[in-house]
Amino acid sequence: MEYLLTRLDDRILSLNKVKKKALVAYLVAGDPSLDSTLELMHGFVNAGVDILEVGVPFTDPIAEGPIIQAAHDRALKNNTSLSDIFKLVEKFREKDTKTPIILMGYMNTFLANSQALQKAHTSGTDAVLIVDLPGEIDLEELGIKNKNLASISLIAPTTSEERISQICNKSSGFIYYVTLRGVTGSSHLDISEAEENINYIKLQTLLPVFAGFGIKTPDDAFNLSKISDGIVIGSSLVEMIHQQSSKKEFKKIYNYLHEISEAINR
Amino acid sequence: MDNLTDLPNSDGFFGDYGGKFVPETLMHALKELDETYAKLKNNPKFIEEIDQDLVQFVGRPSPLYFAKRLTDHYSGPQIWLKREDLNHTGAHKINNTVGQILLAKAMGKKRIIAETGAGQHGVATATVAARLGLECHIYMGAADVKRQSLNVYRIKLLGAQVHAVDSGTATLKDALNEAMRDWVTNIEDTYYIIGSVTGPHPYPMIVRDFNAIVGRELRKQSKEQFKQYPHAIVACVGGGSNAMGIFYPFLEESNVALIGVEAAGSGLMSGKHAAPLNDGEPGILHGAKSYLMQDKNGQVVDTHSISAGLDYPGVGPEHSNLKDSGRAKYIAVDDEEVLSSFHLVTKLEGIMPALETAHAFAALEHIAKNYKSNQHLVINVSGRGDKDINTVATMDGISLD
Repeated sequence: MEYLLTRLDDRILSLNKVKKKALVAYLVAGDPSLDSTLELMHGFVNAGVDILEVGVPFTDPIAEGPIIQAAHDRALKNNTSLSDIFKLVEKFREKDTKTPIILMGYMNTFLANSQALQKAHTSGTDAVLIVDLPGEIDLEELGIKNKNLASISLIAPTTSEERISQICNKSSGFIYYVTLRGVTGSSHLDISEAEENINYIKLQTLLPVFAGFGIKTPDDAFNLSKISDGIVIGSSLVEMIHQQSSKKEFKKIYNYLHEISEAINR
Repeated sequence: MDNLTDLPNSDGFFGDYGGKFVPETLMHALKELDETYAKLKNNPKFIEEIDQDLVQFVGRPSPLYFAKRLTDHYSGPQIWLKREDLNHTGAHKINNTVGQILLAKAMGKKRIIAETGAGQHGVATATVAARLGLECHIYMGAADVKRQSLNVYRIKLLGAQVHAVDSGTATLKDALNEAMRDWVTNIEDTYYIIGSVTGPHPYPMIVRDFNAIVGRELRKQSKEQFKQYPHAIVACVGGGSNAMGIFYPFLEESNVALIGVEAAGSGLMSGKHAAPLNDGEPGILHGAKSYLMQDKNGQVVDTHSISAGLDYPGVGPEHSNLKDSGRAKYIAVDDEEVLSSFHLVTKLEGIMPALETAHAFAALEHIAKNYKSNQHLVINVSGRGDKDINTVATMDGISLD
């Protein structure tokens, strides 16, 4: 049972051992289709992605910018449900038992299914990141905790010092630092503020701190990798997936990820 | 059990409902708002400033009017109308914006944003922003921009910018999503004036408190005009701010029946409606846990109502708690009933209610028979119907071109 929880920790430790930064890649399950998502997940790993973040589509994703919102809408048009996503993870695990998977979504889709986290765990998911769940609230209070799943919390530039220590105390896996004030895919990246905040967070916790939101180019990735333990890349991938959705020619995306992966370990 | 009047608790919960389910970036701003409000709400100067605005700018108190012909029509209770439609800008919404703009001012925010459905809250927000010379942005679903074009123009005349929201269902919930995204992005200098008793804590409490002037006036007016508290108070419920404002000062008066009226759209059985308290399940949307129209996968479903202001899949968390505790009852009336009620009230009383408000009137068809002629029933006339003339004409098959 404990194996699944440590899959994320194992990956983080082994990266640490060889002094590599983590590359976390996001995509929305079911956009353009669940089959493509499965293909992309394996493709991402081959291109150098260390951790997969699978978006669970929701009708009202308030933290997402227009690119990821539209992907949620497309996935919902395909009727992608949480149960479909568990099956997707199971299928992925048939070929890949090492790459950690995080489900990122909104509270209501998890709340609608009291068995959600139990099923997430048995399907081979390692962690959840629930965007509209404040870091200090325990999933147990909402009746859906599963001790085998890490719960990843966000820390924003606006998070107070008091909350930072509360969130660090409740977190497992890693801390996800939101690099900007804005929705996903915005372009207000402020590296010096991010550096100051990440340094502060690292004084409060032994967990690694990954940076995400607004990272587009290999240069963005390089700059943020210097001040964090890893980076998360989302909107630009989702946009590329959408552009390729009719041809399903994903090689360009894998090349891009490969470039990012090289940049953060430059 | 806690006294209902003492809710929410410090975490923002009304029983099981409410809370703060928002992206982390907003948590600090909510705390800041909570602290500012806690500090100011009992400050005599702040209270005096709001009271003065309510009297001189809004035109309060709003009258309590005896609807004689409506009373005769139903031969049930004596029907009284709390005339929020007579407020400046034409609805109860101004009670809240007059208060919140002073919070924005106290917090030094320079930029105001709001969502709107029927446009009444957009107008009320643009009005108070204009008065203080603050930059103002109103988010409105693209579908609502069309059906409430008169209010869109009013908002523009007041100097605010209207952003039509195309995403999702292009109605009120999507306008709220977009306003929240704006707020996340411009958190430092922006104040978000939420227009209903919805959203994360402390909004449901703040919006209720600013609207509670309606219920407080009614306590006084009912004693003066018919020597007792009403036997029943009826109000329409979308997010539920006009209802919460008139209900709240009566929560501890257990002899006063509180009746909320939701939008049954094409009928509760059709599934095409906006009545989460009648036909929804608890869930989380826009920062709070409350009854919600959703499918088995937790996806929010499309709503339908003739009234843009009630066309919302959620409802304020305090209403959810009042429903579960049994303190208030929630019924629903469909579009057809609403339209015929709109015509009835217009002809009998010379008062043209907003389509939202017409839901409360339509409830009379169902409940008037439960009351005797010596009992008093108050309807909260939350807004006037000028904005809805085009919709009514279309429904009646009449072209105004």
